[in-house]
Amino acid sequence: MKVNVEQALFIVDEVRLLTGSTYVLRFSRNDMAFTPGQHLVIGLPGGEEMREYSVYSGNNEEYLEVLIKEIDEGLVSRQLKKIKQGDGIQVRGPYGFFLSKAAGQGENKLLFIASGTGIAPFHSFVRSLPGADYHIIHGVRNMDEAYDLAHYDRDRITVCTSRENSGDFAGRITDYLLDASLYPEHQVFLCGNRHMILDAMDILRARGIPQQRIFTEVYF
Amino acid sequence: MEKSAGTGKKISFRTLGCRLNQYETDALLTRFHQAGYVVVDSREKADVTVINTCTVTNQSDQKSRNTISHAARKNPGGIVVVTGCMANNHREKLESSDHVTYVVENPGKSQIVSLVDAHFKGEVIQPHALQGDVFGFGAVDRSLHTRTFIKIQDGCDNYCTYCIVPSVRGRAVSRAPEQVLDNVRQVVDFGFREIVITGVNIGRYTHQEVDFEGLLEKVLNIHGDFRVRISSMEPEGFGPDLHRLFGHPKLTPHLHLCLQSGSDPILLKMRRMYTVSSFMEVLDRFRKHYPDFNFTTDIIVGFPGENDEDFSRTLQVARDARFSHIHTFRYSRRRGTRADRMVDQVDERVKAARSELIRAVSAENRIRYMESMKAKDQTVLVEQTGPGGIAKGYGEHYLPVRFTWPGSEKNRFCRVVLGSVEKTDPPVMMASLLV
Repeated sequence: MKVNVEQALFIVDEVRLLTGSTYVLRFSRNDMAFTPGQHLVIGLPGGEEMREYSVYSGNNEEYLEVLIKEIDEGLVSRQLKKIKQGDGIQVRGPYGFFLSKAAGQGENKLLFIASGTGIAPFHSFVRSLPGADYHIIHGVRNMDEAYDLAHYDRDRITVCTSRENSGDFAGRITDYLLDASLYPEHQVFLCGNRHMILDAMDILRARGIPQQRIFTEVYF
Repeated sequence: MEKSAGTGKKISFRTLGCRLNQYETDALLTRFHQAGYVVVDSREKADVTVINTCTVTNQSDQKSRNTISHAARKNPGGIVVVTGCMANNHREKLESSDHVTYVVENPGKSQIVSLVDAHFKGEVIQPHALQGDVFGFGAVDRSLHTRTFIKIQDGCDNYCTYCIVPSVRGRAVSRAPEQVLDNVRQVVDFGFREIVITGVNIGRYTHQEVDFEGLLEKVLNIHGDFRVRISSMEPEGFGPDLHRLFGHPKLTPHLHLCLQSGSDPILLKMRRMYTVSSFMEVLDRFRKHYPDFNFTTDIIVGFPGENDEDFSRTLQVARDARFSHIHTFRYSRRRGTRADRMVDQVDERVKAARSELIRAVSAENRIRYMESMKAKDQTVLVEQTGPGGIAKGYGEHYLPVRFTWPGSEKNRFCRVVLGSVEKTDPPVMMASLLV
């Protein structure tokens, strides 16, 4: 019997800690169909507060995952971190169109630019379409925040570390972009902090990437 | 349709908010009329009042509440049915109100006739048990308006950070093309001359292999003496060749394309999927082919974090884009939206001042556009007639027109040549009949 995914609870399978504050929440899929780049709205059963998280898992996996950073004064991110295997959560979605123009773009080179947990939709994409021609630029403070680095083809990801010299590039994403290899056929997708997105878009346009080839998903 | 338990009962309707709500009210009116109810003007006493509400801003909520209490006071002993988006957003509060008999959320709206019939039979139906089809309203054969609406889509998946609509209208769904085309044929047979394509986010229409442009082309190819107008659209989601369809004589050269802000940082915070430059490219593409094309828009002022520079950019874009009308909203906090949790909320007095500035630009743009259309021909659909042979209606560019046409009738097309702008509030173009 097909589950009405709008109403059913989703059962937690695992809370996997990546750092002291960032974790991956894995839960039942309940037949939910999604495309990489879409997001879910998640909260505790009976709770009124819900939050949006990009899908982290691939669309060929039997479970759903989201990547969450616990916010100091956050409500839902702190509640979800304490949740146990077997507990239920409310999940609505999937929503959004962020990577809809990336899927199936066989001839285009895909450039994914993320800050912090903004890498989540690209992780989903890479797990779903490993054969795509992509490169990821991930901006973090230190290598602890290069979440699940082993999940990526190491030649296809550049980690920019802003506070230490331990990544592939010491500095911010925007510093890296000033000299990064860019191609006319690049389609560029940006996800994460909005200041990074705005500054990066200015650099990309100045370097000849037209606006219609730039797509954004902002995290606040 | 079989006559019902309510045959002969008087019913009135009040509608707040968008064109989609207007369509749904018109469709309900048709069904009640077919079931034997007597439809009366909302100024008359009625046995049943249906109020189709809006919750997009605090002001909409307040207007909806005022309308409900006014209806209850005017019709003591009558049934008051509240439906629409406020019914979804504030159901429990409405259910506890003495003014309200039934609260029907959007999914059950098309079944309100059954609910009211059951009431008059003495049966009990729980409104939340009503499960209607969001496209199950049927064709409008009797409308409160000269033009009729064709609903092609409902719900929204965009999740703009300020917007409550996805919560109260639900997921984006598109109506099967065959149903849309049958609906169009029916209303054209009923005699409607202007149909308005409507929904919540119509540019995202997709049903199997048919997208918005594909559906629109099929509608335009239906035989009959009618024209098609597109209601509000988002500036993304549709394809790059939409403008070509406006070369079809049946498609009116007017689009209400929602800008919301002229500042890229604010658009990003709103989670709008375009930049100012990509928005302006759309306008340029259309105007290159159709220099007189009429664009109108929505703008929100006072979004959280909007500073003076952001607002100046919005004001400048409002001028540069030459929108002939700007529907201006002051940002209104909606519980459960992302923007409601943003810390840099803007003071209400600042919003009020910015709103006035945008309205002033809108008024200037409107006169300028009207002046540019002087001496041009228009096909007007007559909507009102008055003493002395006065006829009023809208031309294809969505300009209000007044002219003299002795013996004129509502719902007829006629060709006029536009003359001077009468600077009333709102302004109107005077015209002369072309013989």
